[in-house]
Amino acid sequence: MTGVCAAFVVALVLSLIVLVASHGLATFTVDGVSFASFVTGTVWNPHASDASGAPYMGALPMICGSFVVTVLSCAMVLPIAIGCAIFVVEIAPRFGERVFRPITEMLAGIPSVVFGLIGLTVLVPVVRGFAGGTGFGILSGSLVLACMVFPTVVALINDAIAAVPRSYREGSYGLGCTRWQTVLHVVLPSAMPGIMTAIVLGMARAFGEALAVQMVIGNAAQMPTSLFTPAATLTSVLTTSMGNEAMGTVYNDALWSLALILLVMSLVFILIVRLIGRAGKVRGNA
Amino acid sequence: MMAEMTVERPVDAATTAAGDGRRTTDEALRCEGLSVAYGEKQALAPCDMTFAPSTVTALIGPSGCGKSTFLRCLNLMNREIANCHVGGHIWFHGQDALAPGCDVYDLRRCIGMVFQQPNPFPLSIYDNVAYGPRRHRRLSRAQLDEIVERSLRRVGLFDEVKDELKKSGLALSGGQQQRLCIARTLAVDPEVLLMDEPTSALDPISTKMVEGLMRDLARDHTVIVVTHNMQQAERVSNRTAFFYLGELVEVGPTKELFSHPRERRTQDYLSGRFS
Ligand SMILES: Nc1ncnc2c1ncn2[C@@H]1O[C@H](COP(=O)(O)OP(=O)(O)OP(=O)(O)O)[C@@H](O)[C@H]1O
Ligand SMILES: [Mg+2]
Repeated sequence: MTGVCAAFVVALVLSLIVLVASHGLATFTVDGVSFASFVTGTVWNPHASDASGAPYMGALPMICGSFVVTVLSCAMVLPIAIGCAIFVVEIAPRFGERVFRPITEMLAGIPSVVFGLIGLTVLVPVVRGFAGGTGFGILSGSLVLACMVFPTVVALINDAIAAVPRSYREGSYGLGCTRWQTVLHVVLPSAMPGIMTAIVLGMARAFGEALAVQMVIGNAAQMPTSLFTPAATLTSVLTTSMGNEAMGTVYNDALWSLALILLVMSLVFILIVRLIGRAGKVRGNA
Repeated sequence: MMAEMTVERPVDAATTAAGDGRRTTDEALRCEGLSVAYGEKQALAPCDMTFAPSTVTALIGPSGCGKSTFLRCLNLMNREIANCHVGGHIWFHGQDALAPGCDVYDLRRCIGMVFQQPNPFPLSIYDNVAYGPRRHRRLSRAQLDEIVERSLRRVGLFDEVKDELKKSGLALSGGQQQRLCIARTLAVDPEVLLMDEPTSALDPISTKMVEGLMRDLARDHTVIVVTHNMQQAERVSNRTAFFYLGELVEVGPTKELFSHPRERRTQDYLSGRFS
């Protein structure tokens, strides 16, 4: 009985992957778009065709957009999250337990639409104020994403730092090292695999987040040239367009291809996390 | 207040200097009225003890009697424990380590600590030994190499690991790890070595090696070691102190204390009448 449940879930996941893959690959197998032009083309307008009759299907702007907002948001989150985790674990554990953890858990529970709304009404005007333009763009998207992935990342880094054995810290104190030296040279290096895992999971979350990003990034499928001009990500194009394009059309197939890229990327993130975990174990035992 | 307590306190025969804190030649470290409380609970009643240079002092007593607590005071490791209160004086080089202005980091460099469980950092063997010197001084690669080799040689580990200094310190056996930890402590060149049951996690052969090492280190260090192993105390120590229920009961030359204990409680403990 339980075996049936497990088999059901496995079958479900596998069929999901097959579904996305079959639709996503149709662009290349049925509609005759070359994979190379799909991932390197910079013009995205599947309704129109160029002189040779091939639709404009360059996904590079969205791929770049997704990577840029992901990397930027995580780059903003990482130092702050490490700083917070050090403070909460090493300096003020009481504060961490009573105030910080509940607050970040609350942050994690806020639905993404709310983040999008706040971004739209607060962040976008502020960015417009100091950078000019519309205020929509990569920077706004990254900031909103940063707020969204922060709780996950900080909780994982917290756990990683708290898991460093007390005896390592004592060993360092016993050699006459200060708390700061101990954190920098013993605690952080020991927690590194956990910190890497945290950041990769944060990136996976940022990469896949759709709604909030879509609300503030401006949704213009053009190569991102500045932090302040509207751009698009794989997810934002999917959410804005999917409802409008009929099943089986070339445009619809192209959207499935974007979804396939997303899926593959998330699998890659999971793989990286696995590899880090294994590397950490090898180092611990050997 | 202190003066009244002195009467009840066991007075260490080697305590020579009057409370002026000056270091005499036969004293490396001296505590005076040293007491510890965890929160409200007193863990160590005020006690006096003097540690002579180039000797091994063994601290014995039943579990929970405050040996570790006492040992951890001596290099102020207790400062890292919240609500642990230490009273009295610890005289080291004519200064009171418990006085407000004392630099704990300097003190811990001079009074090193080896723990019960070997605790090498998850770094290479080389980096483990080089850890302390790197934090405290700016050293050239050659100077570091020299310190690492000297420290590892001192604990007899160099020949065993010289081809794999890049290997993780965690990859060594338990006995090797403990010697690595001792080498790591020696690398910052301490005068006093505190060891809290350094062999309790080791097999008999490694234990023998570490005991030999203690004797060897005592040529130019003051060694203070907590042990549950009476034979070990007899083998390695010059002086032995017996703690019981948070109190220093008796301290004296090891041979004397084991053959003619002055106190009834010491007698009972040594003859195994309570554990
Ligand atoms: N961090 C702490 N907080 C509160 N009480 C403590 C703490 N550490 C030790 N104690 C208490 O102090 C007393 C002495 O403990 P200590 O660890 O010094 O004993 P010990 O003689 O080293 O015992 P063992 O031989 O088992 O290591 C015990 O009653 C213990 O419960
Ligand atoms: Mg102990």
